[in-house]
Amino acid sequence: MNLFDQFGSQGPLRLLTEAAGDAAHGAAEGGHAVHELPNWITLLNLFIGDTPLGRFLHEWEGIIWALGIATLIIVLAQRAAKNPQMIPGRFQNAVEMVVEGLSNFILGILGPEGKQFVPFLGSLFIYIYAMNVAGAFPLGKSPTASPNTTVALALCVFAYVHYVGFTKNGPVGYLKHLMGNPQSPVEWAFVPIMLPIHVLGEIARPVSLSLRLFGNVSGEDVLLFAFCSLGVTALSFADSPIGIPFQIPFIFLALLTSFIQALVFTLLSTIYILLWLPHEHHDEHEHGHAAADHSH
Amino acid sequence: MDASTALGFALPIGLGLAAIGSGIGFSRAIGSAMEAIGRQPEASGKIQTAMIIGAGLIEALTIYAFVTVFLLMGKIQ
Repeated sequence: MNLFDQFGSQGPLRLLTEAAGDAAHGAAEGGHAVHELPNWITLLNLFIGDTPLGRFLHEWEGIIWALGIATLIIVLAQRAAKNPQMIPGRFQNAVEMVVEGLSNFILGILGPEGKQFVPFLGSLFIYIYAMNVAGAFPLGKSPTASPNTTVALALCVFAYVHYVGFTKNGPVGYLKHLMGNPQSPVEWAFVPIMLPIHVLGEIARPVSLSLRLFGNVSGEDVLLFAFCSLGVTALSFADSPIGIPFQIPFIFLALLTSFIQALVFTLLSTIYILLWLPHEHHDEHEHGHAAADHSH
Repeated sequence: MDASTALGFALPIGLGLAAIGSGIGFSRAIGSAMEAIGRQPEASGKIQTAMIIGAGLIEALTIYAFVTVFLLMGKIQ
C-alpha cells in the first residue's frame, strides 16, 4: 500500500516515508490512511519516539493544531481590540479592514437585520481560512484535512442554524417551516411527503458541508505530498540530500483553494441561516440546496 | 478478477468520470457567469458570489467521489 517503501532506506525519503507510515498508523483516528507532509509534531515524534508523550502528541495532532490556531486568532483579536485608537495604526487598520469586509459581505446576503449573525459567521470564516492555510506552509498541518474537525464545525453550524430557526420562528413556526409552510388544503395534503424530505434535507446539509471541506483540504494536502515525494524520488539516484521542489506551484493552488473553501463554507452557512429566517417570500426558499441561488 | 483488481481499475475511472461531470457543470456555470458579467459589469459582485456558491455545490460532487475513493482505497491489498 505504501508506494515509498521500496525507497525507504535512502536518506531524504526516510522522513517522508516515516511521515506516511505515521499517517497510516493514525488511520484509526480519522478512518483514512491519508498521506500528508510531515509537520513539526511528526518531526518531534522522530526524536521522542514511541513514548506515551509521543503517542499522545501524534494521536491528538489535529486537535493540537486546531487549538493552537484558535489561540493565535484569539490573541491577535484581543491585541487589536485592547487599545482602539481613533486614528488606527497599521495592525488595527488591517484587522478592521478584514472585519469590515466580512461584515459587508454577510450583510449583503442577510440584509441589515443579519447583524447579529456576523460574529459567528465571520469568526467561522477566519478560523477555517487559518486552518486551511496552515497546511500550505512548511511544517504546517491543516486540521481541516481530518474529518473530525470538519464534522465538528458543520455540527456547530447545524446547531446554530436550528437554534436561530427555533427562536426566530417559534415552536409552531419551526414545525411549519419543516413542513414546507403549507397554506392551501392541497399543500396540507402533501405534508406527510414534504416533512421527511425537509428533515432529510436538513440532515444532508452538515454532511455535505463537512465532506466538502474535508475532501478539498485533504486532497490539497495529498497533492502537495505526492509532488514533494516525486521531487525527492527524482533525485534519489544521486543520493542528493534535497529534492526538486515540485510542490511550489501547488502551494499557490492550495492558498487559492483554502480561501475559496473557507468562503464557500461561510456562504453556505449564511444561506442556511437566511433560509430559516422568517420573511414574506417564504415559498420560493423552501426547496433545500437548490434554493441557494434564489437568495440573490 | 478479484475485488482488489476490480477496485484498482474502478476507483480512478470513477473519479475521472465524476471529474468530467463536474467539468461540464463548471463550464456551464462559469461560462454563463462570465457572459452575465460581460453584459452587466456593474452586477459583477453579486454574480460572482452566486457563481462561487454554485461552484462549491458542483465541486462537492467530485469531492464525494474523491472521499469514496479514499474510503475504498484501503480495501485494495
